[in-house]
Amino acid sequence: MSDSNAASFAAHKVWDLLTSLKLTIVCLTLLMLLVVACTLAQVQLGTNAAVDLYMRSFLVWWPVPGAGWSIAIFPGGATVGLVLMVNLAAAQGQRLERSWKKAGIWIVHAGLILLFVGEFVTGVFQVETQLAIEEGQTVNYVEHPRQQELTVTDVTNPAWDEVHSIPEGLLGDGEVVQVPGTPLALRVRRYWENAQLAMPGPGFQPVANMGVGAGVQVQPLRPVAADDRSNMPAAVVEPVAGGRSHGFWLVSGQLGATQEFVHEGRTYSLAMRPRRQYLPYSMTLKKFSHDVYEGTNIPKNFSSLVHLSNPARSESRDVLIYMNQPLRYAGKAFYQASFGKNDTLSILQVVENPGWLLPYISCTLVGIGLLVHFGISLRRSLRRRAAAAVEA
Amino acid sequence: MKLIKVGPWVVGLAAVAWVAAGLLPARPVRGMNIDAFGRLPVLEGGRIKPIDSVARNSLLMIRSQMSFRFEEEVGGQKVAHTVGADEWILDVLFRAEVADAQPVFVINDPDVLSLINQKLSQTNRYFSFREIRPFLPEIQAQASVAEPIDPKQRSRFQGAIVNLYQRIDLYLRLQNTVQVPAGPPLQAELASVAEPSARERHSLLASAAFFRPLPPQGDLKANWRSVGEALREAANGAAPDSGLGSLARVGAAWRAGDVASFNGAVAELRAFGVAAKPEAVAQGDHEIAFNRVDPFYSGMVIYVAALLLVFASWLWLPQLLQASAFALLVAGTIIHTGGLVSRVILQGRPPVTNLYSSAVFVGWGAVVLGLILERMYRKGFGTAVAASSGFASLIVAHHLTGDGDTMEMMRAVLDSNFWLATHVTTITIGYSGTFLAGAIAIGWALRKHIAPNLLPATDKALVGMAYGVICFALFFSFIGTVLGGIWADQSWGRFWGWDPKENGALLIVLWNAIILHARWGGFIRDRGIMTMAIFGNVITALSWFGVNMLGVGLHSYGFMDKAFWSLSAFCGSQLLLMAVALAPRRFWQRGSAPPGDGVARPA
Repeated sequence: MSDSNAASFAAHKVWDLLTSLKLTIVCLTLLMLLVVACTLAQVQLGTNAAVDLYMRSFLVWWPVPGAGWSIAIFPGGATVGLVLMVNLAAAQGQRLERSWKKAGIWIVHAGLILLFVGEFVTGVFQVETQLAIEEGQTVNYVEHPRQQELTVTDVTNPAWDEVHSIPEGLLGDGEVVQVPGTPLALRVRRYWENAQLAMPGPGFQPVANMGVGAGVQVQPLRPVAADDRSNMPAAVVEPVAGGRSHGFWLVSGQLGATQEFVHEGRTYSLAMRPRRQYLPYSMTLKKFSHDVYEGTNIPKNFSSLVHLSNPARSESRDVLIYMNQPLRYAGKAFYQASFGKNDTLSILQVVENPGWLLPYISCTLVGIGLLVHFGISLRRSLRRRAAAAVEA
Repeated sequence: MKLIKVGPWVVGLAAVAWVAAGLLPARPVRGMNIDAFGRLPVLEGGRIKPIDSVARNSLLMIRSQMSFRFEEEVGGQKVAHTVGADEWILDVLFRAEVADAQPVFVINDPDVLSLINQKLSQTNRYFSFREIRPFLPEIQAQASVAEPIDPKQRSRFQGAIVNLYQRIDLYLRLQNTVQVPAGPPLQAELASVAEPSARERHSLLASAAFFRPLPPQGDLKANWRSVGEALREAANGAAPDSGLGSLARVGAAWRAGDVASFNGAVAELRAFGVAAKPEAVAQGDHEIAFNRVDPFYSGMVIYVAALLLVFASWLWLPQLLQASAFALLVAGTIIHTGGLVSRVILQGRPPVTNLYSSAVFVGWGAVVLGLILERMYRKGFGTAVAASSGFASLIVAHHLTGDGDTMEMMRAVLDSNFWLATHVTTITIGYSGTFLAGAIAIGWALRKHIAPNLLPATDKALVGMAYGVICFALFFSFIGTVLGGIWADQSWGRFWGWDPKENGALLIVLWNAIILHARWGGFIRDRGIMTMAIFGNVITALSWFGVNMLGVGLHSYGFMDKAFWSLSAFCGSQLLLMAVALAPRRFWQRGSAPPGDGVARPA
């Protein structure tokens, strides 16, 4: 057998495998196992971490106890999904007859492929943020609840602030970050992914020598993954400019006080806050309502009456956002998610997902496809029964 | 010959008549018309319902039964009689000393029993409030330790003591709804409403009241009020609510056994209700009928009867009994359907709103599918499978009623009739289909070993049925799952979040898809389909109830801890049945099984 023959034989083998129904069943079974594992893991890890571990990964890694490294023990959801999609597409082209009898199956499989594509698009492109807004307040930004940023704000001019933000990912022990547009550089002396602040106890050693942070103790915590908790990062930074140090400052979202220093006549303020994304429009909360059923505490409805204003589009209108009724605007969807401060604070979940329409199309396709296919099968089976009855 | 035509009709109509007999009004107690009292509308749990429903649900929660035997001293003689829910609540409200002596608290936990100085005995598990009262401080202390603990982490004793404490709390709130048991009766309270010492009792009544009996008057936007609130308004100089006087007379007459006064005062209260909220009174009458007929319980009994008749038909008078069984199944379906429709009308919502109603609906779906199969194949097999699925799911529903009102209000995010009607109903039909396929497969497996001779035609028909039902189930569970994703996208912005309940639904879809693809690929045949269909029962049960036990995710509204063992037992039994399905026919009779009995071969 020549090399080219062997190659074509191997290619045939691979092609057969890719188009085989066995592969479909193996993939579906693997997917079931992954789903079961992911569901059980949620009790310990929380939904996000479990999904990242099993579904949004190409391989499932298992940390070898005590070894400090992991080995891949199972294909992840992304791998199985991709293989299944390739299998589906290949089998469709190769094996299935192109006849009206199989029209239903064709539509179903097209819909399924779209569903997988939608899940990939969501996994890659979906951004979830929050918009917390108090009654009467106007907000023109959304926040990433799980990411923080270090901000250096030039507050010299009382009329406006000039905000420079440094994403949390750039912070790390010993890193030096240039603040663009300013003469400043920040030396990161210490960085904690998750830490709580406490009053100084015995044996207190200050980590900072400037601002309120000088009198606060930092207690490092393990990073958390559960859905209802998020990390509270902290850092000690040293602003340096023109060869001059402005001291060691502690920054953390838990510090309420403003921390400012002056360099060459300009006042800068340092803070750690949830990462913000500014919007070209703003929202004002006019009224938040929390209705309950009469004589009970069972919530009936939550709604936020919001005034939306977008000067660029010369838009200015009121919108009511309530349960099951989000506002879709400029590529983002705003959902009523939570509330606080005695029903005066409304928290909106903001989701940006370019693929949000795909599942709707896919569902329609699969529904129609299954109806067509089972309809054809049922007709055939009824005919056979009728024929059998005539014979008998 | 004639009997074969008439017999089934007689059987079916008799069953319907038996259920309809439940509509007869309750017998008067000591001459007093407690039926009319039970119809009075009140507000409880955010919903307007007749007192009868409050009484039934409360007694069900406290005693796990809707009536009990009680010996009362009447004129020096001990008379035992059955106390129904309406009579019981009248005693709780107005004759605290009688109610306190009634054995309504069921206690099964040995540790809780020893806490109240009782031993576990076969004969008596029911205790009166009077017997429990001396131990209240201890019960409260134990419960306050256990209550903050997450229900999943509680020990058996902790779970039981919290449960007892909650039932005592419910009982005491009921007792403090109209009048303070240790204080003056409502009539005296009304006479001295302005006295400063009464203020404290008004506040107690307003905060403790379990339900609100006084409909809003005049102003349409006004709220229903509790007795305490109405008394407080009267104390502040407002004219007393006209309902208060009548309610006081109901109480006085109930204590004194004054028939004319009781019936008159109840009629007055009803007239007030009609004037203020005519639709509430009409709805109350409807709900009373629903309570009396108890369609899901009667349906369950009829399904059992149908099942027994099918079994009998395989031994004796096949044609007559099989037709009669089918007639019973139809009667059961009519009653089951009537109950569902009633619930939909009463609640103003689609049929599935909580775990309880999902069980009722799953059963209904399976029964209707089974009816259709029986009409198509006419082998008695559809009847058997439909009746047993209907019976099993109504039993499950029956055990899910312990949480009180099964028509509770929907929490905000679930308050969407459109999605309840589409996603929830579709996915529940998917459950029905998967369970029905499993039930057919179980029947196939048992028949293989029990039936003396197997007709290949019947075998083929059964596999055909299971195959068709699996296709049906795949369709509905897929559509239901994706609709759920779309609802999630509408309400919190993500189509798919790998939430345990979503995953459960996905597992059902995947499993049905695997069965069908394995069949299409020729990897499995009859035996494979049937065995896999039985495993579908396990997957469906786990995703229906099991994920609720994990207690994580957005769907954990239906958390339950007690059902864990029942669920495990169910899954175990299904695995056993899978082994039965896989085993060669009558393997115990042969020395060794011949190889290749129905083994899957690629087509």
